[in-house]
Amino acid sequence: MSLSNLRGRVAFIFTERDFDVDQIVGVKNIKLRDPAELAAVAMKAYDPDFAAQVRPGDLLVGADNFGYGHPHYPPMIAMRHLGIRGVIAESFSPGYWRGEIAMGFPQVACPGILGFVQRWDEIEVDWDTSRIINHTRGASIGIEPLALADRQMLESGGIVGYLHARERDEVQA
Amino acid sequence: MGFTITEKILARASGRSHVCAGDEVKARPDFVVAYDFPGYTDVIFRQMKDEFGIERVPDPERHVLFIDHMVPAVTPQEEDLHQNTRDWGAANGVPVHERKGIGHQVAAELGYATPGAFVVHFDGHISQLGTFGALAIGVRRHLLEAYVKDSILIKVPATTRVELTGTLRPGVMARDVFHHMVRVLGPASCRFQVLEIGGPALAGLSIDARQTITCLAMFTGAITAIINPDEVTLPYARERARLSIDPLYSDPDAVYAARHSIDISDLEPIVVVPPSPANTRDLSDHLGIEVQIGYLGSCASGRIEDLRAAAQVLRGRTIRPGFQLHVVPTSQEIMRQAAEEGLLTDLIAAGAFVTSPSCDYCFGRLGVMTAGQRAVSTGTLNVRGRMGSPDSEIFIVNAAAVAAAAIEGRIADPRKYL
Repeated sequence: MSLSNLRGRVAFIFTERDFDVDQIVGVKNIKLRDPAELAAVAMKAYDPDFAAQVRPGDLLVGADNFGYGHPHYPPMIAMRHLGIRGVIAESFSPGYWRGEIAMGFPQVACPGILGFVQRWDEIEVDWDTSRIINHTRGASIGIEPLALADRQMLESGGIVGYLHARERDEVQA
Repeated sequence: MGFTITEKILARASGRSHVCAGDEVKARPDFVVAYDFPGYTDVIFRQMKDEFGIERVPDPERHVLFIDHMVPAVTPQEEDLHQNTRDWGAANGVPVHERKGIGHQVAAELGYATPGAFVVHFDGHISQLGTFGALAIGVRRHLLEAYVKDSILIKVPATTRVELTGTLRPGVMARDVFHHMVRVLGPASCRFQVLEIGGPALAGLSIDARQTITCLAMFTGAITAIINPDEVTLPYARERARLSIDPLYSDPDAVYAARHSIDISDLEPIVVVPPSPANTRDLSDHLGIEVQIGYLGSCASGRIEDLRAAAQVLRGRTIRPGFQLHVVPTSQEIMRQAAEEGLLTDLIAAGAFVTSPSCDYCFGRLGVMTAGQRAVSTGTLNVRGRMGSPDSEIFIVNAAAVAAAAIEGRIADPRKYL
């Protein structure tokens, strides 16, 4: 299996270090389960027009240690419902990273990303060359390659698909 | 070449002679621990059956479940979740411990913190089993792997070693030590690594104190924390251990990603100001801020040492009228001991609202704040809205400082009451 490149616009840049993703929906909404309800409350504190402007395929950009604190799943459930296809950050907090990779949601560690993009730039994550191309500005920057298990998890669409793939591999072995 | 305790535990758990940081291995968890929570255990139970056709876990002895959130239930849906957990436990032969306290603490009391064991949970605060030389990692939804497979695929983490030196001064507690570590090392310093704590200061840090420190490892970016077993922890852990495993220890020439030394002798009480656990400050710079609520409890704090400190501050005094002081011992065993020592009497006499163990005060399900209110708290986290309204604020301090604030209705230095 291979991973498809991510291509889309930078829909938002979270410039805050140690960003707590729960703030995307607000902690008071963290118990909501319905993706549409979550999407309706997402980003209100950051950009009330976010939902109207975002398009399927768009990407988010974050700073160092993105996902710090006690990350929960609803914020990115909301983001996926709005069409966001992945998150690129300077670096990630491991609990957040592990949680979202297990959901099959691409996360890309890219030291230097904050200085490399501006909001609404059209960018592309090329997994095979481990680079991000900024089509708006005609430049590219390296990303940290995925660990094998993380890559398999994304290729399988998340933890359930990954475990099925592991079972198939073990049967073949 | 030497190895860290983490590498040795994962070598044992993966059946290899040795592993090194960076290796990806299939490791068999000795214990699979969880509390019931919507979106985690209910989903895992369903996926196990529907996606993988597994009716019963083949090895129930390595599984354990706790009911510690939403205790007591306040809606029928919450009780449904708990009943589903009890039914699943009964059908699978898996013990379900309910109303015994916060699971991360009760797990240690029941011997799941076996030195040398590899433990997984979905929740990262399970790191506190590292107090006893177990490697305990919160893997979030990856926990499904431990329910449907014998082993889980894991990348052996590198380790940052922190040597603690010196002796704490009166009124300064483990909570201050941990948040000082975040201040010195940084909230991203140990990302994807294990935080190994050692050094001569450990001799003066009790099991309670160590559980506080290891519980909070995630706020340095670490995936867990671990302490090599010693004469403080081994008697407790061995007496309860559920598995016969030889304790493992880091070699003197183990390879670390980084080494740091932190002297705790001159440490002063700290406050972690809202809205991030990265915001460690000196308590002395924030004295006098009005607070209306105090929370003494959680999986990080709320043990006998914390209750003793609060009782010492409050003995013979009364809390300020209108102040809400919630005291929630971390487990029933701790609460019973506090009763025997007379601590509960002291706390109640001072005006504290003492309740049975539950996780619910920590995450804003009980004791909820409204807009404009402020709390001093020994809970795990101080992000916006964690304990109620997004327009309330949480200041994390040690247990003695929670008690001192309850007397004054303001952030206060506990040392004048000791």
